[in-house]
Amino acid sequence: MVRTAGKNELLPGTLEMLILQTLKNGRRHGYGIAQRIQEMSDDVLQVEEGSLYPALQRLLVKGWVKAEWGTSENNRRARYYTLTPGGRKELGAEAENFDRIIAAIARVMRTA
Amino acid sequence: MSFIGQAWRRFMFLLRRGQMDRELAEEMRQHAALTAEKNIASGMDPEEAQYAAQRQIGNVTRQMEESRQSWGFPFVESVIQDMHYSLRGLRKSPGFTTVAMLTLALGIGASTAIFSIVNTVLLRPLPFKDSSRLVHVWTVSTMFPEFTLGQSIPNLQDIEARSHSFETLATYELHERNLTGSGEPEQLRTAEVSSSFLTLFGVRPVVGRDFRPEDEQRKDGDVVLLSYGLWQRRFGGDASIVGKAIMLGQSPWTVAGILPPGFPFPANVDALVPRNIPPGNLRERQAWMYMTLGKLRPDVPLAAAQVEMNGIAAALARQYPQDATGIQFPLVTIQDDRTRRGKPQLLALLGAVGFLLLIACANVSNLVLSRGLRRQREIAVRAALGASRRRILRQLLIESLLLAMAGGVAGAALAIAGVRLFRALAPAGFPRIEELRTEPLTLLIALIISALAGILCGLAPALTITRGDLNLPVKDNSAASSAPVHLFSLRSCLVVAEVALALILLTGSALMAQSMVRLMRADTGLTTDHLLTGELTLPKALYDSKDSQHLFLERLLQALQAQPQFSGAVLTNTPLLTGSVTVSSFDPAVFGSNEKKTTLQIRSVTPGYFSTLGIRIQRGRTFNERDRTGTLSVALINETMARRFFPGQDPLGKEFKLGDDDKTSSQIVGVVADTRDSGLNAPPRLQAYFPILQNPSERVHILVRSSLDPAAAIAAVQRAVWSVDKDLPLSKTRTMGEIISESVAEPRFRTWLLSIFAAAGLTLTLIGIYGVISYSVRQRTREMGIRIALGAQSGSLLGLVLRQAIILAVTGAVCGVIGSLLLMRLLASQLFEIKPGDPVTLIGAVLLMMIVALAASWIPARRATKVDPMIALRYE
Repeated sequence: MVRTAGKNELLPGTLEMLILQTLKNGRRHGYGIAQRIQEMSDDVLQVEEGSLYPALQRLLVKGWVKAEWGTSENNRRARYYTLTPGGRKELGAEAENFDRIIAAIARVMRTA
Repeated sequence: MSFIGQAWRRFMFLLRRGQMDRELAEEMRQHAALTAEKNIASGMDPEEAQYAAQRQIGNVTRQMEESRQSWGFPFVESVIQDMHYSLRGLRKSPGFTTVAMLTLALGIGASTAIFSIVNTVLLRPLPFKDSSRLVHVWTVSTMFPEFTLGQSIPNLQDIEARSHSFETLATYELHERNLTGSGEPEQLRTAEVSSSFLTLFGVRPVVGRDFRPEDEQRKDGDVVLLSYGLWQRRFGGDASIVGKAIMLGQSPWTVAGILPPGFPFPANVDALVPRNIPPGNLRERQAWMYMTLGKLRPDVPLAAAQVEMNGIAAALARQYPQDATGIQFPLVTIQDDRTRRGKPQLLALLGAVGFLLLIACANVSNLVLSRGLRRQREIAVRAALGASRRRILRQLLIESLLLAMAGGVAGAALAIAGVRLFRALAPAGFPRIEELRTEPLTLLIALIISALAGILCGLAPALTITRGDLNLPVKDNSAASSAPVHLFSLRSCLVVAEVALALILLTGSALMAQSMVRLMRADTGLTTDHLLTGELTLPKALYDSKDSQHLFLERLLQALQAQPQFSGAVLTNTPLLTGSVTVSSFDPAVFGSNEKKTTLQIRSVTPGYFSTLGIRIQRGRTFNERDRTGTLSVALINETMARRFFPGQDPLGKEFKLGDDDKTSSQIVGVVADTRDSGLNAPPRLQAYFPILQNPSERVHILVRSSLDPAAAIAAVQRAVWSVDKDLPLSKTRTMGEIISESVAEPRFRTWLLSIFAAAGLTLTLIGIYGVISYSVRQRTREMGIRIALGAQSGSLLGLVLRQAIILAVTGAVCGVIGSLLLMRLLASQLFEIKPGDPVTLIGAVLLMMIVALAASWIPARRATKVDPMIALRYE
C-alpha cells in the first residue's frame, strides 16, 4: 500500500505502476525502489515496506520484473529488480491509462 | 500465452519455495539494515535506529505469508489444505469412516459392475466393421405371426432389384453337418451362405480365398471355409489343409480358406459353405428360409430403409396376393437382435443397482449429517475465525468426496470381482459375455459414480449444517436440544426414501423369486426323471431318401431297445424343453371351421413316446408298429386342438393335412393330454403328433430312460448309434434334468442377483433406520429423563420411540408401494404366472419392511427406557 503523507490511500494497483516506473532507467533493489518513490514524490508518497515485498512477488509471478542477486554500492548483497520487455509494455499501457484518468479527474475538479 | 507463462512461473516458484523463502527473508533483513543506517545517518542512536527500522517494516511473517500467496496456486493449495484437514477428521472417527466407506463401496461396486456389463453387452458396438449399418432383413407373415422368418429367393430378388438402401445383401442358413475322417466324428455348426457374406462383414479369410459367386453353382465342386477355432482344434492350424478335402456329411469338401479368429457371425459357427439353392426354391415365394442380412448405405438411416421396405412389401402383396398378402420386412440391427435377450434383465438389474446406490447414498448422507450436527460447534468456531460459508461448505463437500473416493476404490475392486463373477456365473448363451472383462473404462465408471455419490451424499448435509446462524452453537452451550425428529427433516426424508427404494427392490426380487418357484413347479405334463437325450444329424449324402432314413430309424430303435439297461427308448424329430419347436401352417377349413389359417406345432415320434414320457391318452389309441410307410397316415392331436376344433364332437376318424403339402391327409386316431414340451413357460398350443416312421426326418433326437449314471448311459447310446452307422456323432447329450435346469438358468440367475441387491438394500435400510432412531433417542435423552422422572412406564417410552420408527417406515412403505405398482409393470415380460401388482407379494414386502423397521429401532428404544433420569438431566 502506498500512503500519501496525509494517510490517504491511493488507487489500487498504483503501487505496481510506481515500482515499474522506478525501474524504467535501470535495476534497483527493494529499499532503493522505496527510497526512489519517496524522493521523486518529494516525500508525499511513502511506500509501506509491508506492501512493497508482496507487490514485488506479484510482479515476479506476472513476469514483468526479473530479480537477481548483486552487490550494492556499499558492498552489501542485494536483490536487484529489472524491468522485462513485458513489464516495459505494461508500464506503457498503465501510464497511458493513468494519464487519462488523471486528466479526467483534473477536468472534473476544474469544472464541477 | 501470458496465462500459461504465469502458471509456469508460479509452478517454478512453488518448486523453489524454500529458496524463495530464504531469499525474501534476506532481502527484508537487508532492507531493515539499510533503513537503520539511514536512521543513524539522520542522528538516531544505533539501537534506537534498529527498532525504528523494524517498526517501520512491520509484521514480517504476515508479509512473507502474503508474498507466498503469489507464488503457488492458492486455490489448489487451500483445497489440498482442506483435504488434509478432512483426512485428519476422517482418521479421527474410524467407525464413521469405515461404515460410510463400506456402504458406499457396496453401492458403487454393484453399480459399476452392472453398468460396465451393460456397456459391454448393450452399448458397445459389435466387433464388426460398420456394425451399426448391418441389419437383419426379416419376413413376418400373418401365417406364422409369432416368428421372424428369412426371405424367399423370389422376394429377395425383388428386394435387391427395387431397394436402394443396401450396399450388400447376403443370406445364411444354419445346418448341422457331421465331420468325419481323422479323429472321432463330430457334429459341426455350419452356415450355408451367399458368396457376398464375408464382403458384407468386411472380412477376408486369413488363409486361402473367399467364396465366389460360381461357388454357389458348385461348378468347382463343394468348397468350405473353416472357422479359425475349428482349424486350430481339428487340423492343428496347418495351412496346407487349404486345397485339401475334408469329409463333411459323408461327402468331400475342398477347404477354400480359413476365417479370421473370432469371426463372430453366426455365433459359434464352425464352418461356412456356399449356399446352393434348389431349383424349386427359386420360384417358391413362400419358402422363407434364407436368413438375410443387409448392409445399409452410409447415408441411409434405418428408418428410411424401413419405409422403403414397407413400400416393397406392399407392392409385392398387390402383385402376388396369393403368396405375399400380409407380409412385412422388418429391419433390425444385428446389435439390437444380439442383445435382445439380455436387455430386459440387464435393465432390471441396472435399475436395481441404481436403487441400491441411492439407498447407500441416503445412508451415508444421514451418517454425514449426524456427524456434522455433532461438529456444529467446531464449524461455528471456524466461521468465527473468518471462514466463509462457502469455504466451510467446500470443506464438507471435500470430506464427503474423499469418503466417496475411498468407497470408490473399494467399490472398483468389488466391481472387478463382480464382473468376473458375473462372467463365470452367467447362464450359457448370455449375449456377448465373452467380451466382458475388466478394463480402464470400468475404473472410469467407478470414478464418475463415486464423484456423483460424493456430491449426492455430501451436499444436502453440508447445506443443512452450514445453514442459518453459524455463530449460534458457540453461544448455545446445550448443543443437543431436545427437538424430536420431525417428519420432514432432512434425516427423516432420507430414511423415508430409503424405505421406499428398498421396498421397491424387495417387491422386484420377491416377484422374480416367486415367478422362479412357479416356473420350477410348472407341470410340463411330461415324466422327465432319469431321461437322457442326444441328437443326431443324418448326412444327406448317405440318407438321401425317405426309405434310407426310415431304415436307419428302425435299426437305431431296435439297437436302443436291445440294451437291457434302458427301460425306455424313443426317437423324435424335435428336442424337448429347449425352446425349439417345429411348426407347420394349417388351414382349419378342413374341419369345417371358419377360422383363419394358423400354425400347428408338430412332432414326429416313435410309438413308445407317450408311454415313456407319461403323456395320457384321452381318446382312441397311440401309434404302434404298423404305423409306417405304406399304411394309412395317422395322427394324434392334443387336448387343446380337440377342444378348439371339435367342441362336443368326436375328432377320431377326422382327416386333416398340413400347410400346402397336398400329398397326404392324416387321419386322427387319438387325443392326448396337453404338454409344455417346448419350454416350461410356453403354454400348450395346438399340437399334432405323427409317427416318425411315416414322416422320417434327418434330425433325430434320442430319448432313453435309464437308471445308469449319465456318462455310462451316454456311452451306451453312442455304442448303439455306432452299431448302426459308425460315422455318426452323437451330440448335445444331456440329462433332461440338465436341460430343465439350463432352461431356467437365466431367470434363476437374475433372481439371485436381484435378491442379493434387495438383501443389501434391506440391510442398508436397517442400518439407516437404526442410525436415525438412535440419534433421535440421544437427542431426546433429557426429555426421556423427565418423562421417567414424572413416572412414565418403560412400555410407553418404548411405544414413543417405536411409533416414530413406524411413522417413518409406513410413510416410506406407502411411497414404495406406489413406486412398485408403477415400476413393476416393466418386469412383466420377465414374470411367469404372477402379476406385477401381486397383492400378496406387496403385502409380504411391506410386512417384512415393518419388521425390519421395528428391529432396527428396538435397541435405541430399549436404550430410551433405561435412561437414568438424574444422568439425563445432568447430560450436556
